[in-house]
Amino acid sequence: MGSDPLGDGASAPDADAPIAVELDGVGKQYDGTVAVEGVDMRVREGEFFTLVGPSGCGKTTTLRLIAGFEAPTEGSIRFGGADVAGVPPEDRNVGVVFQNYALFPHMTVGENIGYGLRFADPPGGVSREERVRELLELVDLPGTADRDPESLSGGQRQRVAMARALAPGPDLLLLDEPMSALDARLRERLRVQVRAIQAELGITTVYVTHDQEEALAISDRVAVMRGGTPEQVAPPRTVYRRPASQFVAEFVGDNNVFEGVVVEGNDGRDDAVDGTGSSARTVPVDVGDGTLRVEIGGEAIETDVPRPGDRLTFCVRPQHLRVGRTENGVRADVESAEFLGETTRVHLSWEGEELVVRTEDPLEGTVAVGFDPADAHVVDESSNRG
Amino acid sequence: MAATVAVLVAVFYYPVGTVLVESVVVDGVVTLGVFVELLRDPFYFGELARLFAGENPLAVARALASPDRRLGIVGFTAYQAGLSTVASVALGVPAAYLLARFEFPGRRTIRSLTIVPFVLPSIMVAVGYVATFGRNGTLNAVLTGLGLPTVELMFTLEAIVIAHAFYNAPLVARVTTAAWESVDASAVETARSLGAGPVRAFVDVVAPQVYPAVLMGAALTFVFTFGTFPIVLALGGFELATVEVFIYRLVGDLNYAEAAALAVVELVISLSVLAAYLRYEAAQTVTSRGIRPLPRRSLFPPAPTVRELLPRLGLAVYVVVAALVFLAPIASMLLASVTGGDGGLTLDHYRFLLERQRTGAAFQVRPWPAVRNSLVFAAASALVALPMGVIVAVATTRQYRGRTLVAAVAMAPFAVSGILVGLGLLRGLVFGVEVAGWRIAVAGSAAVVAAHAVAGYPFVVRTVAPGLESLDRSLVESARSLGASRARVLRDVELPLVWPGVVAGAAFAVAISMGEFTATVVLAAGADAYTMPVAIERFIGRRLGPATAMGVVLLVVTGLSFVVIERLGGEYRGL
Repeated sequence: MGSDPLGDGASAPDADAPIAVELDGVGKQYDGTVAVEGVDMRVREGEFFTLVGPSGCGKTTTLRLIAGFEAPTEGSIRFGGADVAGVPPEDRNVGVVFQNYALFPHMTVGENIGYGLRFADPPGGVSREERVRELLELVDLPGTADRDPESLSGGQRQRVAMARALAPGPDLLLLDEPMSALDARLRERLRVQVRAIQAELGITTVYVTHDQEEALAISDRVAVMRGGTPEQVAPPRTVYRRPASQFVAEFVGDNNVFEGVVVEGNDGRDDAVDGTGSSARTVPVDVGDGTLRVEIGGEAIETDVPRPGDRLTFCVRPQHLRVGRTENGVRADVESAEFLGETTRVHLSWEGEELVVRTEDPLEGTVAVGFDPADAHVVDESSNRG
Repeated sequence: MAATVAVLVAVFYYPVGTVLVESVVVDGVVTLGVFVELLRDPFYFGELARLFAGENPLAVARALASPDRRLGIVGFTAYQAGLSTVASVALGVPAAYLLARFEFPGRRTIRSLTIVPFVLPSIMVAVGYVATFGRNGTLNAVLTGLGLPTVELMFTLEAIVIAHAFYNAPLVARVTTAAWESVDASAVETARSLGAGPVRAFVDVVAPQVYPAVLMGAALTFVFTFGTFPIVLALGGFELATVEVFIYRLVGDLNYAEAAALAVVELVISLSVLAAYLRYEAAQTVTSRGIRPLPRRSLFPPAPTVRELLPRLGLAVYVVVAALVFLAPIASMLLASVTGGDGGLTLDHYRFLLERQRTGAAFQVRPWPAVRNSLVFAAASALVALPMGVIVAVATTRQYRGRTLVAAVAMAPFAVSGILVGLGLLRGLVFGVEVAGWRIAVAGSAAVVAAHAVAGYPFVVRTVAPGLESLDRSLVESARSLGASRARVLRDVELPLVWPGVVAGAAFAVAISMGEFTATVVLAAGADAYTMPVAIERFIGRRLGPATAMGVVLLVVTGLSFVVIERLGGEYRGL
């Protein structure tokens, strides 16, 4: 993931920044069931790195392995190059925030935040009380040190949990679905705040969420996990625009997936219509109900040009599937529509598959939908060449 | 952890082990001869002994079906345990229905009081029943007052069964109430909306979730009453001896090998029942989380209909019966302690205790040493039982491979009878053991403390473990990631949060120690290590009055200890 062809990792730390956390072939089994397997990832210093995926994909287990709450059954985890196998959680210098905040109910807000300072001197040479005050300031809850956690709202507890995790000045901040217990609007506000605090402190952060939108919004890089293994590790824009697999394509945002066989009629010539002058070319794909042209771009051209007879899976985002476009398209039946305010999401049925488009006006009957070959993205191809 | 294991081995597994060894080693030769003799002896196994001796099973079955069958001591023990179980379930389940499904003033109090009989000193309860059922007991006094003929219940099976129900019905009620309360109302509502009537919904949804609890209560009741000792000793005498009482007698006759073999037979039967139950339970486990319990109905509806009135009438009858069973022995004991031979009020029995304290001979049991010993043993055994119980609770609530084994090993003392533990400690430690050429003998009082700690710590586990279990794992993990070691987390986070459970555990440990009779009477024989319950038993042999007075002393001291623990616990919590 060293290169960034889309140039969209602007906010990410320097690609040359040292590696803060490194997972090397990490696996974890519980009584024979595999929770995570073959996890390789490198988190750079100061990076906001997010593990995202459906429930059971191993993202929380991966976080717990990094925190030291569980020990990997395979592979190794290194902090700043040093293997942390056998290092207990209390000696890893990490801050952890849980989904349910896990505030100690028998302690005040101030005592909660100060708890980690019983085992480490406050960074910056300040007193314990001063450090607690600083952190309450940082999370925008000044003057609440003497309150009971129970007297706080969910969002406030979440920020106290964050302050508590940050108080001893950890090298690494681990957040396990810290916002999933909050309502949608508060979540959106809070994630901006979390990101701002992270950027201010420049602390390396590993964030776990099942919410792909949250992952895209908050992260420098995202690891999309499935079945215990990351399927793609890349900046949010890359994950969205160039998903590495059909699973990623469908998990991150709405997508329309087409499958077909490459047919003759492609002279291998450059006939892209995107006008960017890049060396893209298109291939015709028989999807059963006609032939659609798909642009083959990027690295694929050099190494793996699809040939007639190859099976190809590609996807087109709903916003790129234009209603009424007959060229390079199919005809589909309107099934249902959801009015979302700024747009309407219409579900179509085509060849037994579901397609999704965005429109402003309600649709009915049978409609033509088509796309620019440059907006199609190939997620899978299998050769028939033996 | 290692210390806990060491204590368990030293004061439980090693002594019990020596008993097992003693039962199979005769004159230095390993043999099952003692067992074979035991199994073939009709004195122990009645008609079943003929089966073990190789007779035709059909003939044995016919003999068992005949009215003049002989059960033998083991058979009788199982028979009375079975009857006691039936009585306890019959008395306990209506209580659960009342507590789980109705709302009335004092419901919470009664619910928490259901634990009390379980920790009441059994010898004191036995004295209470003697005062109730005895020839001059309160029951006969009431009957005479009503112009009815008197009844002779002493040394009958009925008295024993009622006394056992006193102990175990609240246990059945407790576990059943808990199960009933965890039935999700929406499950019942779903069944109703799908077309099931109220009865059908009860049969299909409520009953399947409640009856495993009833079964658990019954299994525990059977095990406890199978190993019963003080109640039978006081109410049954040697005519109605159970296995435990007979072991005690064999120990008194210094017939250790036969006592040990009989104790092993008893243990095997008890553990089989428990194991069968646990197997069943493992297959039944239902997890209920975030449930909405069934709503409670008011016990006293403003305008009752006939349909509402009927179950309430039934409950009213039940309440009268229950009040008699549970309150009569305590009330009778209090009454008997201030009633003279002529039926008038008197403080003679208490005066007798003071007199005995002043002038009692060295061989006689005096009240003050009994009180002092009880207090010292209670404090010492609680100090051992508390840390042990907390550590076992921590070890059994954590998820790891082999947890079930750890739980079973740690909780085994719960199922092993006091006589067996007492006998083991007596033979294994008090009489001395040779280690690397050194003869190590433990004082009788230390052995008593050990026996009490072993009897008490499972209760600490029971009161502390649920709190730890429900404690959010991420609280512990947060503390660890903030730099606290495992032990530090226990001190800073877990213990403060489960502190009420720890205090309750301490109260249990003290109550168990104060009331423990079985192991103590074995260990205190001849020694000066007698406690209040032992003193009661010595007195009861002669006259009831002083025994009831001593019983009241025991009740008061135990009650005061509870108050003190409560105070201390409350203060410490504020730290």
